[in-house]
Amino acid sequence: MKRTVPLMIVMVGGILMILQYFIPHQISQTVLAYYTDWTPIILAFALILGVGSLTRIHSHKIRRKSKNWQYSWAVLIPLYLMPVLAHIWPQSLGGGMDSPSIFHFTFMHVQVSIQATMFSLLAFYIASAAFRAFRAKSALATLLLLAAVVVMLGQVPIGALLGKWLPETGLWILRYPNLAAKRAIMLGVGFGMLATNLKIIFGVERNWLGGAGK
Amino acid sequence: MNIWEKMLNVDRRWIFLGIGIVAIVPFFINFGMPIKTSIEVEGIFDYVDELDSDNAIFISFDFAPGTQAENMPMAVAVMRHAFHNDIPVFMTANYPLHHGMMLAAMAYVFNPTTEGFYHEVPFEDWSQFRNAGITDKDELVVAWENDGNVLPDGAMGWVFEGRDYAALGYAPVFNLVILGMTISIETQYPRDAHGNATGEMPILQEHKNLRDVDLALSCSGSAACVWWVTYAREKIGLPIAFGVTAVMATDYYPYLQAGQVIGQMGGLRGAAEYEVLLTENGITPSTDKAFTGMDVQSAAHILIILLIIMGNIAFFAGGFHKKTALKGRG
Repeated sequence: MKRTVPLMIVMVGGILMILQYFIPHQISQTVLAYYTDWTPIILAFALILGVGSLTRIHSHKIRRKSKNWQYSWAVLIPLYLMPVLAHIWPQSLGGGMDSPSIFHFTFMHVQVSIQATMFSLLAFYIASAAFRAFRAKSALATLLLLAAVVVMLGQVPIGALLGKWLPETGLWILRYPNLAAKRAIMLGVGFGMLATNLKIIFGVERNWLGGAGK
Repeated sequence: MNIWEKMLNVDRRWIFLGIGIVAIVPFFINFGMPIKTSIEVEGIFDYVDELDSDNAIFISFDFAPGTQAENMPMAVAVMRHAFHNDIPVFMTANYPLHHGMMLAAMAYVFNPTTEGFYHEVPFEDWSQFRNAGITDKDELVVAWENDGNVLPDGAMGWVFEGRDYAALGYAPVFNLVILGMTISIETQYPRDAHGNATGEMPILQEHKNLRDVDLALSCSGSAACVWWVTYAREKIGLPIAFGVTAVMATDYYPYLQAGQVIGQMGGLRGAAEYEVLLTENGITPSTDKAFTGMDVQSAAHILIILLIIMGNIAFFAGGFHKKTALKGRG
């Protein structure tokens, strides 16, 4: 029962959604509307599970004083504080989501800054990695290196000043060799996804059950 | 340790310092190097430029603060283009963080300190005109100004919430939201990001679902932009445009070549090209942040290429290509 019911739900739901995609009839549209209404509701329960699990793991770490337990507070405090500030805290005291509010201020001046900083670090590490790893050790590595240099220069205004051919060659690399390689990869991935999805829908692939019912 | 070995084992903090300098200095010395536009960006510009108040576009904020340096100028540029041509704009976000990016873009475009800003009129403020049945943009502007409202100095025009734009924001399971919007936008978004009933908005009354929309631009820092192709382009034929980060841009050339995407802005360069097109066509008074940022990118790319050349010179001149392993400090 633990295996049969989920397998049946997946099979019926999967086949239904494949069929409805190709049938532009009102009944098909109604099925889709029901599906799009129900999915977020079901996912809301997954959110409860996720928040619950996160809380349990970090509260255990704090209770047991595990390694780096202090950082668990950095997870738990914002996890509960931000929804309170957005939805419960009175607007007269800076509650709510719209500007000006504590929630909005925290997002713009903490979250945005932290994420932008993390991503900006990439520029520094890429420069260091390029210096140490980009070597013309073989013919293929040299080809890759030259293509990278041409595309990098072609993408910036200074490239056009160095030579008109640089941006044109850079765009040619992107539009033709790059396109062909990407399309080949995407087709391979696409067929792989199709095969995996069909295996899941028809119950051949059952790993997603997590061993339930065994 | 000879000079070549020393060169290869240079402390990486010197490299970090070099990148820091080339990232900061161009902001103070504005080189303003010319940018040539590409057909990928011109495709989006020309398409948007042919639309008018009878059409509508979607701008989907599918990026987080991490990639806002690249994605935000794209969204802002197209938003300003649409407002200039009175094209109604729907704004969505596929993730809660991205919702904040949408609000930040609006705050920038409507901020009086931004050169060429637009003056926003909140939904509630023009309710008396709406109730009187005045929803046509030209008639609304005349009635609004006859009521004693004056456009602030430097503003490019009025932007009425619910008429010129609807900030729909984030809704969970966004791929299904796109699919759902092919039937009804209001069903997916009964209220907008500010809590206004979308059913009362003229923009939604005239454009009920994605079939009534003429373009969706996904400004994206992830593969979520493909959802628009899968669920909107392929299902109902909605034209799609991408605004993606530079590292992602290479991935989407197959979509361009297949005609599934009408154009693509790739990275800061793509945004800068759009800013150049806006300025050349008199839509904005000057270029914006992306164009300025291209000087930084030029300097950083040159430095990285110099580092690669130096690394290779030291590698071969020092004879390290003959050795199986090179000891370094990583």
